[in-house]
Amino acid sequence: MRTTLVVLMIAAGFALQAVSYFLLAAPIGVPTSPVYSDPRLPFAPALFILGVMLVFLAAVVYELLPEERSS
Amino acid sequence: MATRIERLPYGIGRWSAGWTILLGVLLAIITVGVYAYYQQLALGEVVTGLRDIGTMGGAPWGLYVSFVVYFVGVSFAGITVAAMIRLFRLKHLRPVARMAEVLTVIALILGAFSIIADVGQPLRAVVNLFRYARPGSPFFGTFTLVMSGYLFGSLVYLYLDGRRDAALLSKQPGRLQSFYRLWAAGYRGTPSERERHSRASFWLAIAILPLLVAAHSTLGFVFGLQVGRPGWFGGLQAPGFVALAGVSGVGLLIIIAAIVRRVLGAQDQLGRNIFRWLGSFLLVLTLAYLYFMIVDLLTSTYAAHHHEVRITTALLKGEYAWLYWGVVAALLTSVSILTVQYIPAPAGVRLPAAWPRFVRVAGVALLADGMLTASQAIPAIKQSGFAFSPQVVAVLIVLFIALLAVFWVGLLPLIRGKPIMTAVIAGVLVNLAAIGKRYLIVVPSQTYGTLLPYSTGSYSPTWVEYSIVLGLVAFGILLFVLFMKVFPIMEVEDSMPL
Repeated sequence: MRTTLVVLMIAAGFALQAVSYFLLAAPIGVPTSPVYSDPRLPFAPALFILGVMLVFLAAVVYELLPEERSS
Repeated sequence: MATRIERLPYGIGRWSAGWTILLGVLLAIITVGVYAYYQQLALGEVVTGLRDIGTMGGAPWGLYVSFVVYFVGVSFAGITVAAMIRLFRLKHLRPVARMAEVLTVIALILGAFSIIADVGQPLRAVVNLFRYARPGSPFFGTFTLVMSGYLFGSLVYLYLDGRRDAALLSKQPGRLQSFYRLWAAGYRGTPSERERHSRASFWLAIAILPLLVAAHSTLGFVFGLQVGRPGWFGGLQAPGFVALAGVSGVGLLIIIAAIVRRVLGAQDQLGRNIFRWLGSFLLVLTLAYLYFMIVDLLTSTYAAHHHEVRITTALLKGEYAWLYWGVVAALLTSVSILTVQYIPAPAGVRLPAAWPRFVRVAGVALLADGMLTASQAIPAIKQSGFAFSPQVVAVLIVLFIALLAVFWVGLLPLIRGKPIMTAVIAGVLVNLAAIGKRYLIVVPSQTYGTLLPYSTGSYSPTWVEYSIVLGLVAFGILLFVLFMKVFPIMEVEDSMPL
């Protein structure tokens, strides 16, 4: 359970980083129009940071979550 | 298992008159800094020396940005050393791990405050960074990787690393007991918990190290990618930033470790071997940075565009020459004393015995000759009848070099006998050099580096900028002192059982 949650958090964190960086923030490329200046979703950089934090928080969850008691 | 410690270790919770005076001095400096910042907010950045490039003949990035880069650079040491201890099992360095982690967190907080101090509309700047930062911009990396990821990662590392000690301290009744209990979060020190912590720290260290290189490189790219700014544009900025970050950070860690050793009387925990290791690490990093400086200098003087040459001339023999050569002298002095200290002499080579009186006489003569030579550069003396002829000045310079060599050789035996003092002197010198070099990276390219036909600009920080920066430094020291008084600055030894 704990390992699954940690793996999910890490995967979600990296996915959030990738999606916000490549798909939600301002397009990457030669800025030929104003479209390249604004993010496609406002506060996309904040989502990227959230992804980074989620990955690091996985370590806290891994250490703090109580172990499952075997019956 | 439930043995408890009778007294909190490392002076936690105990305030002497000295600590109270230190606290008062720090608070006074911070108050002046806050007042200066209030002036800046109320009256605008016109109270600083910052001006636009070109039409206003100034530099919009000055002391604040220099210290942003310096503080972020300093943060390098903490988490690097902590991660290296974990990855390479450098157990003898464990006593400095916690202070290194705290140094990283505080330095990053100060870096963030320096950015806030630099922008005219802090609230707008912070909100817009979250809202509009572009992935293609190096500022995006600096903002997301350095100020958020790196800081958050370091906090997580510090928190998890401190749980064991928090659990230990929570057994002692006192005002901070509930705080320690909260930090410990149920830690009992079972073998499985230890194993889990070891595994989590290992993977955190693995994750943080590449993040750290990427973060410092990104900061270098803020300057290195600006194609229209001679002096900044270049491929060496990123690796140079990483190397100088290491130099300043490890230097400051050595200073802090020496102060903690003295204040807490921790001669046993913070032994000479720790300073020897840190000194060697500092030596390698300083040599690497000197290599980057030489390569950069050769490139910009060999066949560079005349805009590059203009900045290099200002650095080597113009307005900034005193600072540039001061930085070089400080770095070379550090390298030489660290080399003498840490590299064993070849078999059969013996250093002469120390002659303190001889060294003192040579030092006084050196100082007198240096002052006499330097006085010849003062315009008032140049115009008066007391100016020496060029031949006499040349003799004075040769004499200065000879006296310096004599003084240096006389000092060698003294240096070899005091490894901690040597490391601290090197740490102080490299940090002064790092601050100077950050200023030289930031400012001259704005005052001398415009591609448009503007005249040379100028920049002099005002009392507002100095006060804010000093206030930030005092704030950093205050945070460190407060941490020392509520939590063990060194890992509590294994002999104290949970």
